[in-house]
Amino acid sequence: MAIIELTDVRKVYTLGKTEVHALKGVSFEIASGEFASLIGPSGSGKSTILNLIGCIDQPTSGVVRINGTATNGMNDRELTTLRHQTLGFIFQSFNLIPVLNVYENIEFPLLLGKTAVPKAEVHDWITYLVEQVGLQDHIKHRPNELSGGQRQRVAIARALVTRPAIVLADEPTANLDSKTGQTILELMKKMNEELNTTFIFSTHDSTIVGLTDHVIRLLDGEVVEETFQGRAAAEARS
Amino acid sequence: MLSVVLKISARNVWRQKKRSFLLAGAIAFSMFVITIVNGLTGGVVDNIRVNFSHALGGHVFISGSEYREQGIVYLIADEQALLDSLAHYETSIESITRRSQAMPSLIFGSRQAMQLVYGVDFSEEDKLLSSLVVTQGSLERVTDEQTIILPRTVAERLGVEAGETVLMRLDTITGQRNVGEVIVAALIEDQERYGISAAYVNRSYLNSLLGLRPEEYQALNLFLTNMDDADEVGRGFREALGVPQPATLADIKEMDEEEAVRELFGMARVEEIEPWEGIKYQVTTINQIMEPVEAAVNVLRTIGLAIFIILLVITAVGITNTFRMILIERTKEIGTMRAFGMQQGMVRNIFLMEALLLSGGGALVGFVLYGVVSLVLGQISWDTMPAMQFFLDQGRITFDATAREVVLNTCLILAMSLLAANFPAKAAAKLSPVKAMSSNL
Ligand SMILES: Nc1ncnc2c1ncn2[C@@H]1O[C@H](COP(=O)(O)OP(=O)(O)O)[C@@H](O)[C@H]1O
Ligand SMILES: [Mg+2]
Repeated sequence: MAIIELTDVRKVYTLGKTEVHALKGVSFEIASGEFASLIGPSGSGKSTILNLIGCIDQPTSGVVRINGTATNGMNDRELTTLRHQTLGFIFQSFNLIPVLNVYENIEFPLLLGKTAVPKAEVHDWITYLVEQVGLQDHIKHRPNELSGGQRQRVAIARALVTRPAIVLADEPTANLDSKTGQTILELMKKMNEELNTTFIFSTHDSTIVGLTDHVIRLLDGEVVEETFQGRAAAEARS
Repeated sequence: MLSVVLKISARNVWRQKKRSFLLAGAIAFSMFVITIVNGLTGGVVDNIRVNFSHALGGHVFISGSEYREQGIVYLIADEQALLDSLAHYETSIESITRRSQAMPSLIFGSRQAMQLVYGVDFSEEDKLLSSLVVTQGSLERVTDEQTIILPRTVAERLGVEAGETVLMRLDTITGQRNVGEVIVAALIEDQERYGISAAYVNRSYLNSLLGLRPEEYQALNLFLTNMDDADEVGRGFREALGVPQPATLADIKEMDEEEAVRELFGMARVEEIEPWEGIKYQVTTINQIMEPVEAAVNVLRTIGLAIFIILLVITAVGITNTFRMILIERTKEIGTMRAFGMQQGMVRNIFLMEALLLSGGGALVGFVLYGVVSLVLGQISWDTMPAMQFFLDQGRITFDATAREVVLNTCLILAMSLLAANFPAKAAAKLSPVKAMSSNL
């Protein structure tokens, strides 16, 4: 079943008098549990698509469905609640909250409202995530005391803490050296398999597609190629 | 939810320590200034009231006058209505003094001096006797009929010592000249602290020189257990004695200008004096006497408040500007929190809470500073400055900012900071979560 479904999605940005057609009718589906990637050069519309799926922006036309529900016409409060309960985010520049330590940064989304994690399990759950991302020795550290790779590990744990159905990662490796970037992607893949969370990440580096089940290639706001490999290919065949 | 808001905003306050200290410092300064002004004016009013009541010998003053052919004579006697009222307010009254008074010339040898002399009933004036500081002679013999207690400075001027006799020359209530003789029983330290230098003689003797009967007196002064009862006791006595109540502010507003001025300054309506029967009473309370003082102090209070509000407005501008800067600095962070599901209201609340923490902390520091400064200043003795004594409590400055004033000032500060932070807080809440993505911030 498709957990994400885009149907003829268009996005037009108006900058003064000029219009930028960032997405020119994009349609695709992503199945639950996939480890999917959006690949394309800078300006091809990857971030725009992730913002629409992430419910932090709305399409000019077309429909974005999350778990079968169209996001069109939802107000800010409803979208915020949907994000909180269904989505996790990993950013290119980590975006940890500087005044909170590692543990608190991971815990933070849980404090914003009701989640799928029962109160009594919170501590064990966070401890488990901390161990999974290998930061058990840095629990009390503030973000500015961590390396880029470590920060992105915190961000991965934070994105997963509410047990979201979907985690979105916009160029999560762009600010890291290629070796660290590789381990971050491997960690994301590991969590995808461990928790069966749907991951979608974007990258402009077409060499790092080996791990992904489903590759969507973009150019100038249009999908130019869609390929399935590994598990997704097997499921698509069956 | 509140705990999350509190946690994040408290940490944000600490994040830019210098900036926070500056803002909180400005607020602390405003709080300090206004509380010092409140404390000082409050203390001065208290002290003036206490000093006045000491100087005048009470909190409620009752006098009476009789219309006679020779003119108006000031006297009272223990009439039934008066006794009933005294009995009625017994529990509110700490002590009663019934006094006559005169301004005779005291003569010793070739020297003489005008001196205020109270005729007192020493048997009911324990409070007075215990407050006197004897420098020569003793108070044991004061109950002898023809004795006088003299201030030391007056005795020095006259060159008289305890045990010697002085002449007392005065006019009777009907205007005849009269002379008496009194033995100096004791010399006392001047009570100049309270603005008077009085001598004391037996009332019955002074009455005989004034042409009053021994049981008559000119002023009945009541010390109350609680000064705050003065208005109520005054009202009760006026009712019982048939004295019109003083004009209230509302009454005065009704009057024409001339009438109002007369009423405010307690001037008699000269043209209206007509003969009357028996004793006409007058009842005055310490609060009435304090009215002009209160009015003067209120001017100071208003100036203080104006300065406070100006300081607050300046601080408010500072807060608004700072929070606008903060808004720009934290755009990406706010976007991130929004992306993870923080509702707009919570973003706004974090900003407002930050403003509240800053201003609440500042107000607290300002108040503590006031406490310390007032404590230190209160230790200093200004005994060497006689002109100031009337404003002081035994030579020391006292501070009395009321809880109401402190709470009010704190509320003003908090309200101001909320108002100042409101605009940036709303703008922060409106930031799009897309901002979390922008990598250039
Ligand atoms: N807020 C915006 N206003 C105007 N144009 C935008 C905005 N965001 C993106 N664009 C434009 O939309 C196109 C797609 O951008 P984006 O989705 O960020 O691409 P990518 O993430 O693949 O680099 C680009 O041409 C970009 O300049
Ligand atoms: Mg991008």
